[in-house]
Amino acid sequence: MANSILIHNPRAPFSQGSGLKASVLDHLAGKVVGFIDNTKPNFNHLMDDLAVTLLEDYQVRSVIKRGKRVQSIPAPSAVVDELVAECDLVITGSGD
Amino acid sequence: MAVTVCSTAFEVLGRRQAASLGCAELPIVLVPHPFGSISRSALPKIAKEVAAQIANLMAEKNTSRASTVLVDHCEMLNVSSDVEIFHRLCIEQKLSDGLPVIPPTPERVQKMLAQSARKPEEVIARLAPAFGDATVARIATNAVMAGCTPQCLNVLIAAVEAIACPEFNLQGIQATTNPAAVWLVVNGPIASALGVNGGANCLGQGVSANVTIGRALRLIMQNIGGAFPGDMDRATHGQPGKISLCCAENESVSPWISLHVERGLSTETSSVTAVGFSGTLNMNIHSKNAHEILRSIADAMAHGPSNDYWCGGEPWIVISPEHAQILSEAGLSKNEVKQHLWEGSKMSASRMADKDLERTRRTRREELGEITAHTKLSISRSASDIGILVAGGEGTHSVYIPGFGNSRSVTRAVDAI
Amino acid sequence: MVAVEICSSAFVNLGRSQARALGYENLPIAVVPHPFGTVDRQIVRQFAEKCACDIVALVCLPPVTETLEDYQPIIEDVQGAAELTIEHAPNLMIAFNRLCRDRFWSDGLPVMPTTREAVSAMLAQTKRPPQQVVARLAPGFGVATVECIAINAVLAGCDPEYMPILLAAVEAMATQRFNLQSIQSTTNPAAVWLIVNGPIVERLGINGKFNCLGEGVWANATLGRALRLILRNVSGALPGEMDRATQGQPAKYSFCCAENEGESPWEPLHVERGFSSEQSTVTVVGAEGTMNMCTLVKEADELIRVIGSTFRHPTSNEYVHGAEPWLVLCPEHADILHEAGYTKSEVKRRLWEASKMQASELSKEDMSRLQSSRTTELGVIGADTLLPISHHYEDISIIVAGGSGAHSVYVPCFGNTRSVTVAIASDEN
Repeated sequence: MANSILIHNPRAPFSQGSGLKASVLDHLAGKVVGFIDNTKPNFNHLMDDLAVTLLEDYQVRSVIKRGKRVQSIPAPSAVVDELVAECDLVITGSGD
Repeated sequence: MAVTVCSTAFEVLGRRQAASLGCAELPIVLVPHPFGSISRSALPKIAKEVAAQIANLMAEKNTSRASTVLVDHCEMLNVSSDVEIFHRLCIEQKLSDGLPVIPPTPERVQKMLAQSARKPEEVIARLAPAFGDATVARIATNAVMAGCTPQCLNVLIAAVEAIACPEFNLQGIQATTNPAAVWLVVNGPIASALGVNGGANCLGQGVSANVTIGRALRLIMQNIGGAFPGDMDRATHGQPGKISLCCAENESVSPWISLHVERGLSTETSSVTAVGFSGTLNMNIHSKNAHEILRSIADAMAHGPSNDYWCGGEPWIVISPEHAQILSEAGLSKNEVKQHLWEGSKMSASRMADKDLERTRRTRREELGEITAHTKLSISRSASDIGILVAGGEGTHSVYIPGFGNSRSVTRAVDAI
Repeated sequence: MVAVEICSSAFVNLGRSQARALGYENLPIAVVPHPFGTVDRQIVRQFAEKCACDIVALVCLPPVTETLEDYQPIIEDVQGAAELTIEHAPNLMIAFNRLCRDRFWSDGLPVMPTTREAVSAMLAQTKRPPQQVVARLAPGFGVATVECIAINAVLAGCDPEYMPILLAAVEAMATQRFNLQSIQSTTNPAAVWLIVNGPIVERLGINGKFNCLGEGVWANATLGRALRLILRNVSGALPGEMDRATQGQPAKYSFCCAENEGESPWEPLHVERGFSSEQSTVTVVGAEGTMNMCTLVKEADELIRVIGSTFRHPTSNEYVHGAEPWLVLCPEHADILHEAGYTKSEVKRRLWEASKMQASELSKEDMSRLQSSRTTELGVIGADTLLPISHHYEDISIIVAGGSGAHSVYVPCFGNTRSVTVAIASDEN
């Protein structure tokens, strides 16, 4: 390029995407489903209704509901560890 | 398997963040936005739709989903030397904050790096929400762009350390819908060495050290942390403090120990304190009576839709030298001022809207027990969580700076040159 | 007739600079210690005795030529801006910024070089002649010619297409009811907030949605900044000198946004103020800060109640003077109010009632200021008087702006100012 200069890139490289392969279940029947309530309005109700639907219509084995104190901090590591150990599927929420 | 349920307006944050964390294929199921306003009776139907979408994910498990692919990264870029063409590039590529920048040529970045004993490739922190590596060289690059003098580098290195501390909660501050910005307070000898203003108009424009240091941090949070407005930065309105906010404490006129000494550093140590804040409120108080001043400030702090009250936060008061003098002459120490403000700002929970009271109950139950409309809520968990800074020129003004709510300020020593 | 000014010591600079700006550089100024307001009555008597001697000496003796502060307005007269040739090797940007820093022409951030080409490109966006005087701007009463405005627009980094907006904004700021004099020289943290309405918003990409009061969008950042540079370089308000702001606020770097007209359930601000929707306008507001109101409330009257409770604070200039508070409603909150059947005017009326504050909340001295300012309007004011935040409910001003989220913003304003809306001339380019 005529009259060009070299500059340092102020950006950091961001992830190219798929470092982790998302694992997917074959089916929901017989599985244990966990929820982390993000405390945003209505998510607790959605969680309750989803739990009923998954149990009745999709024959999941059981449901574990956990939460956190407030939406803008992560769930306690004890909650995360429990859900990872006990659940086949974990459902979280984001947004308003 | 993990699934995230996102309201539609937040899909972009969800996808970008998932990609940043290396799992771009994280399944995201959408619900209408704003989800919180939907009536209870409409939710069972939405739940059935969500369940069906999750079940469909099982059926589609062999179908590849699009990953977020970002532009290939180069450490050095060839750009036009023409200032206006460079200006255009910065707009198109969103490298800047909307204002002109200085091109970060190798010579300028080297001059900046010469101020630090650290290696250019040293990673000071990984910054949320994209978790980019904030190397010393990248910090220097953004500092050059902001217009900083080379001597500012060590302040910025300490600031980056501070915002990356877990208690600061940078993730929350960067991705929130709140107008959360980062305020930097500089203490110790480096404040005068760099000419950081703690006097008249210290929260406003004019002094290069103030505005360029604050701005450099914003560029770092964007270019390295990845928080682009409307993208991962979900701020509904934002605030002008997101352009820049940095000042010194007016240590020479303060009647009390300065902030960094209060936090355990020696007077001779230079420090920077990062504060997550939501706005600024002018408090014009002509009273010359200490208790009346405190009462007025406490009353101004109390307001229903406040993040500090529902979280138990960390509100700040910038006290003018005149007000500080009056308080000190009445025999009040800084801690006593905090205690008076904490007691005086206790607010009846009934001032909140019902839904805000509901979230307060849930959030502060462990701390306060059962909360009713009659509970007097404290603005923070303890009086010592109220931050106080003496700054400003002449005048009867102090400033209330509400906190983000779920963030605690962090003070870090600045490397000696 | 002889005039004498008595200044408290911290304000002598302002007094001298302003006197010089008004062409009266030998205005006699008698000085009393600062802060003057805190001293007892008997001390005031002692000061008065000394002050009397000083005044006699000032007005009865031969005039003494004072050496005034070395304040040089950038534009000396309306014959055209001085051109400078600068050595810019090895780099124009660095050399130019160094010059601006030395001369206090910048706000502390990098500026764009005001080359002849760049200024000409800006001037090409208006039919007005470069030397046309748009206004004289307080407190220095520097002459804002079209060319001056163009130069500061280039400095700020504005695109040339922004020029008509700035011309209109300068006209607006110079109107009497805006009270630029007080806004510029006050100890309050008064900044000028620029709101843009009409078709020009989309054409120029001015942000009224996500993060519209923050950084990132070129138009917002550079327009607000250009206005601030004009307020420094042309009207002469430099912090610590004529600009007496105690702490100031970050909006003094830049504060500009559009209204989010597309997501508002009501008529936009400029239509409310009598302009057609196709007419583009600017509104200037003397703003003192931004207060986030994060509330999940979904019921209209409860929303009004909590906003009203945020308006109410005893340290407010608005209650003392009866002012013009501003509210930036997010689209979600606006919809809640609209769906309850409320027009914008009805929202203002309800807010006005909900935000009334008991006079006893004020400190004794602030009560005195209040009584001095509002007795004519409100009659006798006692501790039990319920104070409205503004003289009339219609003085509460509302725009709809922002992206998704349950936040609205209270923007308290400098007490003695009224916002001004001006049409952007459509035949400029």
